[in-house]
Amino acid sequence: MNNSLKSSVPTDREVILGILNNSEDILNKLYKAYYPMALQFILNNNGDEDDAKDVYQETIIVLYNKIKAGDFELSSKLKTYIYSVCRRTWLKKLSQNSKKAGSITDYEEVFAVEEDVEQHEEKDAAFVKMQSALEHLGEPCKTIIQDFYIHNMSMQDICEKFGYTNTDNAKTQKYKCLQRLKKIFFQP
Amino acid sequence: MRNDLELDAIIEDYLLGGLSAQETAAFEALRANDAGVDHKVVSHKFFLESMEAFAAQTRLKEQLNNIHAEIDVETLAEVFKPHPSKVVQLWRKHKSAIAVAASFLILSLVSVYSIQHNTRQKEQLILLSTQVNKAIKTQNSLIRKINSTSAAAGKPAVQNSVGGTGFAVSTNGYILTNLHVINGADSLYVQNSKGESFKVKSVYTDPQNDIAILKISDKNFSNLSSIPYTIKKSTSSIGEMVYTLGYPKDDAVLGEGYVSSKNGFVGDTTQYQVAISVNPGNSGGPVLDDSGNLIGIISSKPDQTEGAAFAVKSKYILEAMRAIPQDSLGKNKLSANKRSTLSGLKRTKQIEKIQDYVFMIKAYN
Repeated sequence: MNNSLKSSVPTDREVILGILNNSEDILNKLYKAYYPMALQFILNNNGDEDDAKDVYQETIIVLYNKIKAGDFELSSKLKTYIYSVCRRTWLKKLSQNSKKAGSITDYEEVFAVEEDVEQHEEKDAAFVKMQSALEHLGEPCKTIIQDFYIHNMSMQDICEKFGYTNTDNAKTQKYKCLQRLKKIFFQP
Repeated sequence: MRNDLELDAIIEDYLLGGLSAQETAAFEALRANDAGVDHKVVSHKFFLESMEAFAAQTRLKEQLNNIHAEIDVETLAEVFKPHPSKVVQLWRKHKSAIAVAASFLILSLVSVYSIQHNTRQKEQLILLSTQVNKAIKTQNSLIRKINSTSAAAGKPAVQNSVGGTGFAVSTNGYILTNLHVINGADSLYVQNSKGESFKVKSVYTDPQNDIAILKISDKNFSNLSSIPYTIKKSTSSIGEMVYTLGYPKDDAVLGEGYVSSKNGFVGDTTQYQVAISVNPGNSGGPVLDDSGNLIGIISSKPDQTEGAAFAVKSKYILEAMRAIPQDSLGKNKLSANKRSTLSGLKRTKQIEKIQDYVFMIKAYN
């Protein structure tokens, strides 16, 4: 870890408060502070940069959601927590891809984070379902839904973006899309 | 269809709080009355929650991706990938292979070392074999020199004679002794405890077991009474009390001790080691146990060890005796089947009984 990165490492307390307050700056600092550690771990355990990105982002999401849910108790250093989640997630991925996990080279101490990772995976399964439903929807429905629900665009903006004659038409289109999406989403 | 869409719009507005108070009340009334509508509301609510979570996640991911884009991953990867120097990297990746290679290396080093060590042992063996030669010399030195012309006098030896011990294996004059006692002798005599000498000739020799059988060919010799000792076929145990009678000097000398090892010189299985102090002249003497069983013949002693002697095991005596025509040995020969008349006797009585059967061997050359 080089010095410029080290100097910008936020304290654990700053991170928690920052995330609770939706501070983008803190999230940015947090992400950059511990990424090298995750990268080092993945690179030295049969992974590449893309693996590192995926795993590390998932890790940050786990941490983020846990802090947001308000049940994050800092029983150890934040760094250890991140490392543990990262390690756990990567081990799972390795075994899913039936790659040889062999002996994992550790750089940090580890503690049990199985529960958090499991929870995250359950949630993630629902997201995957939503994601695939959206993919099934096809254009322009997918973009309309994404713009409305994810990017919180107003119907006016959507109407203009897609060139509908009036908002009502856009709305009707949106509801048609929504109906189809729900159908796909609720399919067993 | 149209109605469905409108209903969906109303439900969404209701859930997102887009309806006026009046509309809300109206819709809630509708929802209470119509189970179908209620179901739609619930499912849409669930859907919206899922969508919201998904949206949050997606937004977060986008955010993270943006942050990620700011990081110079390649440089960092360069830092971390080769940074644990190539050797360390190699070690991490091929730890098990290296371990195998290392153990193989160690194994081969060990085997090379042990081979070298073995050759050294061979050298030791060669050394030991010279000691064997020495031991044979020692055996020879167990032959007492009688009459020897001293070399110190500077005169060439005109007549040399050596002495050993022998014992009767049959009543008609067969006497068993060590081969090295009589080896190279021109003429052989035996002398009994009374001092009578008889001329003997060698009838059988077994160089391997160092055994020779002599036959008294003197017409003055009268047959002995039956042989008091028997021969023991089985091997004796360590610790068994044994004794020998021999002629290290002109009178018979008793040596007492015990079987101290089942094997003789450097593990020679044809011999025992016995803890009896023997001297030159004891060669060929019988080794008897307490109950009068012949267990061996004194043949040599180690020159480095005090108070020990080697005795040829009795079963080789039996083998040697079988080599002699059985008829010529006569009826009263030494055998394993008879009961020893010595058993239960005191040592003094035993000596009294056997002394007539133990001879001094004199070999002239």
